[in-house]
Amino acid sequence: METVINDYISRELVQDPALVPLADEAPLLDSGILDSLTLLRLVVFLEERFGITMGDADLLPENFASVNTICAYLRAREPGKQEAARG
Amino acid sequence: MGDSRARMLLHIIERAAYLPFLARLPAPLGYRMACWRGDWHFRHQAGKRTEVARNLRLVLGNELSAAAAQQVTREWFRLASCETVDIKRLGRRARPLRRLVEIRGREHLEAALAAGKGAILCTGHFGSCSSGFSVLHASGFPVTAIGRWWYKYEAAGLSSAERRLWDFYLKPLRRHRQRPNIEPWPGRPEVATLAAAALRANEVVTISIDAPPLDSDRARAVEVPFLGHQAGLLPGAVVLAQVTGAPLLMGFLYREADYRHQVWEISAPVPVEGETATAFGRCAAEVSAAIRRSPAHWIFWANTGDLADLGLIPPQPDSSPAAGPVLLPDRGIPARRISR
Repeated sequence: METVINDYISRELVQDPALVPLADEAPLLDSGILDSLTLLRLVVFLEERFGITMGDADLLPENFASVNTICAYLRAREPGKQEAARG
Repeated sequence: MGDSRARMLLHIIERAAYLPFLARLPAPLGYRMACWRGDWHFRHQAGKRTEVARNLRLVLGNELSAAAAQQVTREWFRLASCETVDIKRLGRRARPLRRLVEIRGREHLEAALAAGKGAILCTGHFGSCSSGFSVLHASGFPVTAIGRWWYKYEAAGLSSAERRLWDFYLKPLRRHRQRPNIEPWPGRPEVATLAAAALRANEVVTISIDAPPLDSDRARAVEVPFLGHQAGLLPGAVVLAQVTGAPLLMGFLYREADYRHQVWEISAPVPVEGETATAFGRCAAEVSAAIRRSPAHWIFWANTGDLADLGLIPPQPDSSPAAGPVLLPDRGIPARRISR
């Protein structure tokens, strides 16, 4: 998952080639890699790639701080995890 | 700054006293009186009058003689005054204002929504656009606006009481929206995604593309021809259309010569395929053409700092952020000259 997301961000969203290769823990928001429109592109990509729908409540900066936090957020959304959390 | 605030407070009190009265008058009389009020402000607000006329000539250059600039300036004050009446006529499900606004190109908006991907209505800070968005919403189109309420700027230096007053005054605008404004403040990367969510719900998202970018967004601005100059503007409307597949339509709200009737002119979808900067250049050209067609409709003429930020006039000595915001009581516009 990390590789897929990192590849997409590195290929499609990073404007400054000096930031590539991108570490999974590299800050995405603070470094300016993700702004309003690149975040939208990323959300569309995540929704298509992982078959999820992200609502307003999911758009928290902490979910998109780095590749690692994005993956942690996606894993927390996995059906089994959500049921476990509810149970 | 202190003088400006005192004047603004006086304006709010003035409005509270007579605007509800003006809005309840028959439209011909109400808007006639609004024009008299505009003329009165034109005569007595020498500083603003000079600023508007000077900026008109700086930007439009030889297109406008000194006499014509004065005429447009007077018209600008009249339109500003009429706009305050528009807001007050948004009561009673906006019927009093809806009766006066014709929507040309309604079929384009309906066709766009029929496709199920929402619609982006792209415009400028032009005419009574905020009231116009409310009219569209009250006419059956679910409208959400992307835009900042200027009085919420911390650097505008308003007290909480003043903010509440503005909040109260602009409440009729907010009432006729599908969702609260999506406000692109710095540090809010979710803005475009929220707009995409509104489009996904098959709503109309309005964007005024002629605002100068905040410092934090300046790197994303593209240089496009605008009013005979090169201006740095944000192409977000086009990117949003490209990513979501929502059609992008241009719309301008013109006030007619009788001052009470207005016409929304909404275009068919404009092509957004290909290079973002090229597609956005077409949108900016439309806004530019609308302003040239009727310069008095453009709100920014009194915002010297904004015009300088856009690159339309040279930087002005008194327009540094430290000089504080331009407070425009009559046009209630997103004054951009704040510390950033």
